[in-house]
Amino acid sequence: MKGSDRRPDPASSGDSAVLADAEADGEAHLTLDQAFDSGTLYALRAAVQAHAMEAGLPESRTDDLVIAVHELAANAVRHGAGAGRLRMWERDGAVHCQVDDGGSPAAGGDAGPAGNVAERWPFLPGHGLWLVRLVADQISVFSAPAGTRATVVFSSGKDPSGTAP
Amino acid sequence: MPVSAHTQVTELSPDAHACLTFGEQEDLLDLTAAYVRDGLASGFRVVVLSDSPQLAAAKLVWREIAAETAVAAGQMVMVASQDSLVGPQGFSAAQAMDWLRDQLADSRRQGYAGMRVALDMSWALRPMTGIEELPVLEEEIAAAVTGAGMSVLCGYDRERFDPVTLALIAPFHSHAVAAATYYDDPVLRICRQYVPPGIRLAGEMDFLAAEALALALGEAIRIDGDITINMANLSFIDASSIRMITEAAASLDPSRTMVLRCRPAIEARFAQLGADRLPQVSLVGVDEG
Repeated sequence: MKGSDRRPDPASSGDSAVLADAEADGEAHLTLDQAFDSGTLYALRAAVQAHAMEAGLPESRTDDLVIAVHELAANAVRHGAGAGRLRMWERDGAVHCQVDDGGSPAAGGDAGPAGNVAERWPFLPGHGLWLVRLVADQISVFSAPAGTRATVVFSSGKDPSGTAP
Repeated sequence: MPVSAHTQVTELSPDAHACLTFGEQEDLLDLTAAYVRDGLASGFRVVVLSDSPQLAAAKLVWREIAAETAVAAGQMVMVASQDSLVGPQGFSAAQAMDWLRDQLADSRRQGYAGMRVALDMSWALRPMTGIEELPVLEEEIAAAVTGAGMSVLCGYDRERFDPVTLALIAPFHSHAVAAATYYDDPVLRICRQYVPPGIRLAGEMDFLAAEALALALGEAIRIDGDITINMANLSFIDASSIRMITEAAASLDPSRTMVLRCRPAIEARFAQLGADRLPQVSLVGVDEG
């Protein structure tokens, strides 16, 4: 599952190969693992803000991380299954946030993951995902049969040698 | 239509005894400003009572009320509660009514057609002797305004006054006044702003309240002239809401301005998404709170 049938979204920037995911990298020390839907986006933002500050992000970068996670989660709510899951961890002096969109919209029979990442994850100027790409240090979006997984990385400016496993 | 069972502050009769129960300080200031503005425009004498007249004057000036000019001309009086309704020995309804009747007599002597009195009632939250007479004062004001060419707007903070007191004083008022509200839940409030005209967003705004925001913006841009989106108490706004506001601004005739009042972090977000490039947009940063 993690190999050939996942492909990077052509719109994503950065070197996707270096981005870890929660299963491979962070499961053992997740700082936040929270399910969300349209009714809990407010609580999700509050939790991300608290953890970003705890991780030592400056105030403006905390604001950026909060809106980045919100926009990814909002996209999952609006264009994915209507719910999803956020996982957050720290590694190498950076905060990683991974949003899974919970799969295809239940109603849309033609909305399988193959071939329509661009449709479900539109990077239009002025739109949410465009803003995410603007503020995140790295972003990657992968589509898999189980749904779409988006990961953003924000450097916390800490010395990575102290936090690396 | 916004959901509101209340009288609009702009539609009060000349002898109204109105009760404004507010949840946010901005509501009190905005509705008081509209009440003052309309009173001055009608040629009435206007008396504004608050705990801090200097602070109240500064807040009115931001709202385009020429407070200093009106005060210098004698048409407007800014008074501190402790120099008017409350005496050095504490509070008594009789003494407070003497002060109010003196104000009315002054207005008539100076030839004003009417008088408007805005009372920020927060003084009544302080412990003081005689405060149990508060309902007596409200009852006597109700009797005094009838046919007197005087109206009184009493502002009560609904978070700080206890429900029993509010229930006691409410029946003595002829009108209940509140801002027209488009959306109100614990996370977000969208309401009309009267002075300067526009809308006010407080809390956290995201796409879930898009319908209410569209309605509020639609009503705001239908009025003439410049409009203000007051986001001084907004701590979060998402990209889709920014886009909706920006698109509303872009739809305005270029001769009109949409003033976006917001905290630095929100101001930066609007700029990031290109709002500052629109000729109709004026981004104004404000301090938090």
